[in-house]
Amino acid sequence: MEEVDKILIRSLRLSGTQVPEAVQSLREFTTELIVEAVVRCLRVINPPLGASLSHVLPPSMSARFRIGMSLAQACQELGYQGEVGYQTFLYSNELEIRRLLLFLVEKLPRDDAEDVGQPAGKSAVLLRAIAAKIKEQLGTPWVPPTCRTPRLQLLQGTSLLTPFQAHPLVLPRDSGPVELQEFFRGFLPLVPAQPPCLGAVAPSLLERHASDLGAQHDWEAEWQSQGLASRLPPKEYVQWKRQRLRRRLLDQLRQASLSHSTTGPPQPGAPDLTQLLGVLSSRGPGGALAKGSRFSHAQRLAHGQDLQELVGQMQLAAETLPSSKTSEQETQALQEMEVTNLQGELQRLGAEIEAMEGQVKVLELSLSQAEGVLRQRQLALVGREQTLRVKSRALELLPQAENNLDKLQLVVEGSAQRLVHLAAQWETRRGPLMEEFRHLRATNRSCQVESTRRLSEMQALHERSRNASAEARRKEELCRQLLAELESLPKDVSRAAYTQRILEIVSNIRKQTEEISKILSDTRALQKEINQLTGKLDRTFAVTDELVFKDAKRDESVRKAYKYLAALHENCTQLIQTIEDAGAIQREIRDLEEQIESEGAKKTTANLERILSDYRALRQENAVLLGRTQEA
Amino acid sequence: MRDLLLRKCCLTDENKLLHTFVFGQYRRSWFYITTVEVQDSAVLKKVTHFSIVLTAKDFNPEKYAAFTRILCRIYLKHGSPVKMMESYIAVLTKGICQSEENGSFLSKDFDARKAYLAGSVKDIVSQFGMETVILFTALMLKKRIVVYHPRIEAVQEFTRTLPALVWHRQDWSILHSYVHLNDDELEALKTCTGYIAGFIDSKVSSRADLYDVYVNLAESEITISQQAKEPMTMGKLHKEIGQLIVQSAEDPDKSDSQVIKDISLKTKEILTNLSSFTEVSDDGEKPTLNFEALKQKRFPPATENFLYHLAAAEQMLKI
Repeated sequence: MEEVDKILIRSLRLSGTQVPEAVQSLREFTTELIVEAVVRCLRVINPPLGASLSHVLPPSMSARFRIGMSLAQACQELGYQGEVGYQTFLYSNELEIRRLLLFLVEKLPRDDAEDVGQPAGKSAVLLRAIAAKIKEQLGTPWVPPTCRTPRLQLLQGTSLLTPFQAHPLVLPRDSGPVELQEFFRGFLPLVPAQPPCLGAVAPSLLERHASDLGAQHDWEAEWQSQGLASRLPPKEYVQWKRQRLRRRLLDQLRQASLSHSTTGPPQPGAPDLTQLLGVLSSRGPGGALAKGSRFSHAQRLAHGQDLQELVGQMQLAAETLPSSKTSEQETQALQEMEVTNLQGELQRLGAEIEAMEGQVKVLELSLSQAEGVLRQRQLALVGREQTLRVKSRALELLPQAENNLDKLQLVVEGSAQRLVHLAAQWETRRGPLMEEFRHLRATNRSCQVESTRRLSEMQALHERSRNASAEARRKEELCRQLLAELESLPKDVSRAAYTQRILEIVSNIRKQTEEISKILSDTRALQKEINQLTGKLDRTFAVTDELVFKDAKRDESVRKAYKYLAALHENCTQLIQTIEDAGAIQREIRDLEEQIESEGAKKTTANLERILSDYRALRQENAVLLGRTQEA
Repeated sequence: MRDLLLRKCCLTDENKLLHTFVFGQYRRSWFYITTVEVQDSAVLKKVTHFSIVLTAKDFNPEKYAAFTRILCRIYLKHGSPVKMMESYIAVLTKGICQSEENGSFLSKDFDARKAYLAGSVKDIVSQFGMETVILFTALMLKKRIVVYHPRIEAVQEFTRTLPALVWHRQDWSILHSYVHLNDDELEALKTCTGYIAGFIDSKVSSRADLYDVYVNLAESEITISQQAKEPMTMGKLHKEIGQLIVQSAEDPDKSDSQVIKDISLKTKEILTNLSSFTEVSDDGEKPTLNFEALKQKRFPPATENFLYHLAAAEQMLKI
């Protein structure tokens, strides 16, 4: 019954009845509580019907009586089949109340559980609205002022809407040259004074912090992945990386210059550089440098000046021409002549340029040849100097050729011997050093193995810590999610839980029925056995009786025995009878006890006393009223 | 030099590839490196590999390969450089040394001309066909040739044969068969007018400042760089030469030296042709080219261009 009571109490709470926490079952319900619960339920089920009823029990007895009557009537109108009257509410009986409340709760509209919990009344509605609003505002995250939509601005305010302007901050460091240290100590303004306006302090700090954090994060990631693997101390690693970058830049520059030089004939000086820059800029991201370098700009300007000069000259010519006042034809002839002249000039110049180019080519070739000759001659010179030296020595030694040849051979042999000796000496030095080198190398290798092991260990540890932190974060997330779920749970889950509970109960009941039927069959089997035994006993007794009776006619002692037998049989029958009676009585006792219990549950005496006292109070009220009317 | 030799020696390399014999040139001195793996040696217990480096003034890979092999065997046997030193000095002073196993090493046995002829021109022609004439032209005009192949042995075999195409010069000092992309080495390379340089680093293809003709041996490709396009213009004369080379090389009866002879005969013909336009100046110097005479002959422009550049390469121009 406790399950049912819990469900009932929960439903009543949802319907707006203020059931105290201490109350766990219907037995503990007071009259006031019962009335309130019934009225609230009625209000939810049928608002016009419930609206006329007050959920607070008045002190006056007659008013109470009236409320009880109207409540009973309302219940009957709703279609309650059972017996209901004012006594149901005022002098409550647990069973009846339970039946009634179950009926009412079943009548409650199910689909909108939220509406069920909505107590009537303007203040309640207002409170609910306020709560909903606050909940919604708490639910929306805080948004930085610049990102607020108009609605959010209304919610979170429009103040502090200053643009985010960050300025680079200079923070003192411990390392660096002495001058820098001096600057940090003596001249660096404080951080709030560094940005040009006060509003930029916070953004600057935020930006600086974010960039530092990012840099730190990047560095850590890189150190984990590549730095550790390179087995260099952090400082050397940074240096190495810088060098590599520089080398790559150099390579890029060289390639750029090469690809340029292959696209056209090399030109000396500035144009070369401008083209190179052009190539570089065209490789730059998005052609940001497309507007051209300073060089190309200057060049374009120079060309522009040339053009302007040309235009000026033409204008001059045009002005002087009409002033000569010659006829059209003459001017035309003049122009034609000029054109032919100019063309001739052009051709001449072209031929000249070609000739020059040919000359340049010739000169270039001559130059390369000259260089080749020079190199060859230099080499020859060195060779000749050597032979000269050798030959002059030989000439010196020529006068005593035989003698000197022997001497020379001796010298050669001696120096060869010396060389070999030196080699041997060197070997004596080299041997131990080599040994030492090998030993050191072996140690180094073992160290390296050790360091590799440590490295892998370290990486594993890092990995583990990262995993652990990720796991922790995940679990926290899960916990938060579950908490949120838990918060939103009780509203929806009750039905399912109760259904499950009901199913359980049903299965329990089924089990019990099975048990009962088993017991019943047992009992039946027992009865059968008893019947059999009784039959057997009867038959045995009949046979024995006959046999003994036959003998009893002849023998005195047997007659006695027969008498005893008869007595035994009678006594036994009596005994059985008594046992059966005792069983019946016991059953009756149990029945009575149950009756007593149920009667006790009905609180009849207490109710009677209460009825009596109420009756007395009623009479007194009536007397008072009578008195008043008479006085009036 | 020490750094350079260490770089060339395959033991310092990280990829652990063993090259038994490599050679090359740096600033007119030749180096020869033989590397040996030590197996079950009684005297060299802790040594797994060692290299012997010889530097010399002459180009003769076969001679020095044999010599360093002998030295290696000596070192393997005695485990001491002293014995090696003795043998080396013996070769240096007497030109002979006793080998450990059989016979002796005689430096007289190894003629320089043999070394020049050791490579196979036929292989080159069979790989490149008519394009061989590009290599021929580049060599005739003393252009810069860069050869690339990931395997150093292939590069060396190929590059050492190339100078044989211009047999009349007998100049193997243009050969730099093993060069790294290292600043010092490139600097040394740039002081030469024309050269043949072998690389095993594929990045060399992007260094257009290093070559006029780029030979990718692995893919049998020959590329002429932009700046060398003009002097390397091919004409009828080149076709003729190319056909001659291919014909001669494809003849199975002819040996490599005969092919080289054919080519050198053709070269001589061209050179005599060229010298017909020269005039001897008064001082008894070299004959110089008379450009006007060449012009009057009215060769096709490509041929004229080639002859003119050839004259420059053969130092026959008037300065």
